[in-house]
Parts: sequence; structure tokens; C-alpha cells
Amino acid sequence: MSTLAPATSRTSAAGPTPKQRRRRANRPSPLLVAFVLVPFAVESIWVFWPALQGFYFSLTRWDGLEPPTFIGFGNYTELAGDAVFRGALVNTVIWLALFGGLSVLGGFGMALLLQRERRGVGFYRAALFTPVVFSLVVTALVWRVFYQPDGLADQLLRAVGLEQLIRPWLADPQTALYAVILPALWRQIGYVMVLYLAGLKAIDPALHEAARMDGANARQRLRHVTIPQLRGVNAVVLSVIVIDSLRSFDIVWALTHGGPYHSSELLSTYMYSAAFQSLRLGYGSAIAVVIFILALAVILGYLVRAFREDA
Amino acid sequence: MSDFDPSRRRFLGHLGLAGVGALGASSLLSACASSASGPVDKASGAISLQSNLSSPQAKAAMEKIIENFNKQGSGRATVNTIASETYRTQLPTYLTSANPPDLYTWYAGSVANNYASKNLLLDVSDVWQGLGDYPQSLRNISTDPTGKQIFVPMTNYWWGFFYRKSNFAKWGVQEPKTWAEFITLCQTLKSKGVAPIGIGLGDTPWVASAWFDYLNIRINGAPFHRELLAGKQRFDDPKVKAVFARWREVLPYFDPKGKAYPFQEATTALLANKTGMFLIGTFFADAAPKDALGDLDFFQFPIIDPAVPVAEEAPTDGFFASAKTANPAGTKALLTYLASVQAQETYIQSSSGIVLPAHPKAKAADSPLVVKGKAMLDNAKELTQFFNRDSSDALQPTADTALTKFIDKPDQIDAILREWQTSAEKVFKG
Repeated sequence: MSTLAPATSRTSAAGPTPKQRRRRANRPSPLLVAFVLVPFAVESIWVFWPALQGFYFSLTRWDGLEPPTFIGFGNYTELAGDAVFRGALVNTVIWLALFGGLSVLGGFGMALLLQRERRGVGFYRAALFTPVVFSLVVTALVWRVFYQPDGLADQLLRAVGLEQLIRPWLADPQTALYAVILPALWRQIGYVMVLYLAGLKAIDPALHEAARMDGANARQRLRHVTIPQLRGVNAVVLSVIVIDSLRSFDIVWALTHGGPYHSSELLSTYMYSAAFQSLRLGYGSAIAVVIFILALAVILGYLVRAFREDA
Repeated sequence: MSDFDPSRRRFLGHLGLAGVGALGASSLLSACASSASGPVDKASGAISLQSNLSSPQAKAAMEKIIENFNKQGSGRATVNTIASETYRTQLPTYLTSANPPDLYTWYAGSVANNYASKNLLLDVSDVWQGLGDYPQSLRNISTDPTGKQIFVPMTNYWWGFFYRKSNFAKWGVQEPKTWAEFITLCQTLKSKGVAPIGIGLGDTPWVASAWFDYLNIRINGAPFHRELLAGKQRFDDPKVKAVFARWREVLPYFDPKGKAYPFQEATTALLANKTGMFLIGTFFADAAPKDALGDLDFFQFPIIDPAVPVAEEAPTDGFFASAKTANPAGTKALLTYLASVQAQETYIQSSSGIVLPAHPKAKAADSPLVVKGKAMLDNAKELTQFFNRDSSDALQPTADTALTKFIDKPDQIDAILREWQTSAEKVFKG
């Protein structure tokens, strides 16, 4: 959300130009100005302003009751020495790599498999997309039943003779994080698949036709036609993945609350528990700022590269 | 929106005013928070009561009490019931808002005192002048450090080891009185192929705090426990380590599946004869089928050191009012009604839970279980509330982390207690 801010403000700053001669062409219509300014005003109050306040709060100590006390960079120096924060950062990186990486691979793979119109393909697409429609909290409830002691997961393992692997999936610090990534992936793959399906549909069939004429095999067409053509979709997918990874909260909270003892803690859940459970809103804001900077760095890094290649 | 002025000076001015917190937390944070406080009807002069008693029976019971109060003619009130977890996170927002609801369900003890010290609670000493029947112990926990009453209790309940009478008869075992008898009981149950001690930590890790509270008040006594929870003692103190040494003696008898499921499922496990006994508060009965309740009994947490005055956990629920209420007289009238025998008996009769009325003359349910629980609390030299109520909701997660980690990795107790002390210090420091 916040990453869109610069673009919007730039548009609004453009306003009427000094060149009055070609009024019709250069000066935007009042309706257009209204369309830009009204959302900008609303965004300013509900997005930019609170976001700036968040930066300010990250420099304070605040329990939500008394006025915040300014403490400079105290929260950030505390973050540097906080083992739980480091753990949450590592978990977030693991989450970004596994959840992000696997959902791109899975989603792209599924899109390639299901792009051709064959009989029954609609059923498979719908089946893969269904988890996206569920609220993540509902997803979490379903998966909790799956993971519960003597639940479906344990029964499956017993059925194939692997009962020595059975453990309290969500309560074991070794497995908790991965047990949460799985349902998140289950959902995200369908979403990414739909994005890629749309991208694949937009590729001009003539390009494939021409490549085939030139004797390119399926692998070469994928490598040299399909993937380069999907660059625009990739930018969208990457942004969505990075933002979704960093804001992943509901599924973790609903399944483990970041526990047991912080082993499945992400930055987002740690931010929530610091702010709203420990009532250290200043410290929570500092974590939120770190999340913001991470998201911005990853996405800006990609966008800068993408634009440079375009130019 | 009309007064929005993007000019820089005005903007910076707002930034300086950020302390007022008018917009609440930053958007980054508030994205996680849910709804704001409910509508407050000031025009009609009705007293608004925010209630976290969201289980269907308790909600209906509260609504009935308010209905009876409205019929009485001494004022009008409305009740607004909110899911308890939402309520917990939103309560500070309600209390600090410019136009807060008048009355709130909440807990006695240090959580209420904490709000009182910030001048957010109405002084209800007048109401207490009419509550001469109430015991001193309840008056004490309703009084803030400056000596004024800020809380009116409605009910309390107790914690104990619950078990099925038929199972104990089948296994030929008796209620233990001492720690040694308790360990023998655990050994006997284990030899019969039952997990002796049930627990439910998945999703409800705070249940482990009952073990910590009880061991601490049995070994070190209630005064030390309160000081520890108030930040006047250290969690890495050898006295605290002694608590965990005791706990470790019975760790092998805990149900290993208890880590993975919440206390509601631990209740089911107890009723399904999979576990022998379960240290829990009486609220667990909400999750139990009615016909199973007749077979349930409980025993007091065993005595470890007979020299330590016996204390029991008796979490007290009740009400406090906002200092900013527009109608203090009406609010106090409602509080007086809520503290009455009539209102409390209505609540006890309508709610399914096992609770004791705060008013000594109000009739509790006459089941043998309730009689036994009431007697246990009456005989206690001291009452404690519960970990979060004797400290704060902010300290509770530090306990959850430390205790669940201890149950998993008892060898690391020194490191765990050091971490606990560090994170507790952060909470106390703010």
C-alpha cells in the first residue's frame, strides 16, 4: 500500500502547467483533477498521515494510555540486541524464500499445465483457486484439524507406516514454522497461478507460431518466448509475493500465535504481540518500520532493475 | 476531511500533536487491530455497559440483569457484548477515547489498579458504602493504592485438579493432600496406562501459568508471588528456580499431547478418560457436556510446605467505570444494582458456568462441587487472582514463552529464567 505512495503524490503534484496556450491539451479537466485529488486527500488522512505517525511512534515509548515519550533511536538499538527479533527476521527470510519461491514455481508450473483449453481443465483451475476464496482464518481452522494430535496428518503417516515421524506439528519448535508455511502455500499457489494464466493468455500466439517455424522446441519456446513475455506479470507477482510474505500474519496467528516460544514468530506477528499484547506500541512501531523498509528495499530493487532493462 | 491542509507547517504541527494519539496507532499497526468501540448513546442518558461475557449463556444472563435493572426505574442501561479477545485488546482504546462507554466488565486486582493509577477509572467508594456485607478480602482487591474503591466484584471462581469420580473409584485412588501423595497418585495412574496430568497449551498457553502460580504460592507464599509479579522480585531468583525444580518432578506425568491442543480439548480428553486429572479453572465446564458434570469432582492443589499459609487462586470478575462517564450517578446506580443479591443470583441462575457470587448472601448453585469450591476459598488465608490479573496482560506472554519452553526443555531452566527476567524488565519499563 505504502509503496504506491510516491507514484500517487507525483501525479497530484503535476497539477496545471504554466503553459496556458494549448489549454485544451495540457490542462487536465477538472473532473480528472478531482479524480486525483479526492483519493489523494482520503489517502493522506487514512494512509500517509498514520504511516508518518508510525515513524514518529517508533521513536517513542508508548503504552497506548499515556502520551508517548520521545526516546530517540532507543527502540532500534533494542531491536539490534533482541534475540526474538533476530529469530523473527530469520523466520521472515525463510518465509519469503519458501513461501515466495515455492508459490512462484508452483503457480507458474500450474499455469503452464492448465493454460491449454482441454476437457476438465476448468475443474482443475477452480480446484486450485478455491483456497484463495477462503478466508485465511478458515483455512487455518481446516489445517488445525489436519494437524491436531491423532488428526488427519497423523493418520496418513500411520497408514503408510511412518508413525515414528509423528509429532505435535504446530507445538514442536522444529516443525511449527513449516507446518504454517504449507497452508499459506496451498492458498497462494492458486492465486499466483491465476496471475500467470492471465499473463500467458496475453502472449501473442503468433510469437509461438514464428518460433515453431524457426524450429524451436518446447523448452526453447518457454525459455526465449514465454518467460521474456511475462516480464510485466513477474513484476506484479514479485510485488504481491513480497508484500504478502511480509504481511503474512493471520495464518500464523490463527495456527500458532508465533509460538511455541517464538519459534514460528514472523516480524508481523512479533510486531502485533509487542504492540498489542505487551502494550509496547513504540517498539511495535519500530518493528513495523523495519517491515516497511524491507518491503520497499526488495520491491524497489526489482523495479529499478526492471526499468533499467526497459530503457 | 474539510479541514485537511497539506501545507508543511500545519503538517508538522499535526506531527507534534501526534502524542494525543487521536488517530490511534499507526496504520501499519492498526491494520492489525479490529473494530473501534461501539456506539455510545449519550443523548438518551442510558448507561452503556461494555461486556466481554460473550459465551451465549453469560451474554443472555447479562442481558437479563440489564432488563431487570431497566424495569426497576432507577435508570436506563444498555449492554454491548464484545468477543472477549477483541475486548481485551480494545479495552485501553475504550477507556482513553474521548467519549467512552460508561461501564466495563473486567478483573479486579493489579489490572484494574493499573488503569486507576492513570486516572481512567471512576471512584466508586460511594457504592462500596452500601456493600457492608462484602468480605474484607474482596474490598481489598477492589481498592487502589491510594485507598479509594475503583472496582465492584460480581463473581469469582476457583482453580483445582478436576477429575472424574467414577475413574478415581475404578482406579482405586484417593484425592492427594500432600505433594508426596500427589506424586504417588501420578505414578499409580501412569501404571494404569493413563496420562496422569492433562493440560492444554496449544492456543491457550496461559493455562501453564496456573501451575507456576500454584507452585509459587505453595512454596514461596502469596506475598512473594505478588511481589514477583509486580516486578519487585526477580524471575532468576533461586526461590523461583525452586518452583521449577518441584514442577520438574511431575513433568514426566504430563499428557504429551497437551502441548498441541487447547484447554477445551484437554477437557474432552479428561472426560474421555484419556487423562486422569486436569488443573484448570471452573470455566472449563462451559466446554463440557452437562451430563458429564455430575461425575466431576476436584481436589485442592496439594500442600508442599505446611509452614506456608494456604493461598488459593480466586480470579474475581466484576465491573469498573470510566472516569469520563457523562452520568456518574446513573453509573453508580447500575453498579449498586449489579452488586446486589438479586442481580448476582440472576446471573448465577442464568449462566451455565460454575461461578460463585461475590455477595456473601447471594445463593450459589447448590451442587456439591460448588459447595466444596466455596468452602476451599473461604478457608484460604490468602487469595490470589491469576498470573495476568496479579501482574498485567502485558506480562502474560513472557510467562507463556518461559513456561512452554520449560515444559519442552526443562534442562535449560537457567537460561529460560534469565530470558524471562529480561523480557519482564522490558514490560515493566514500558
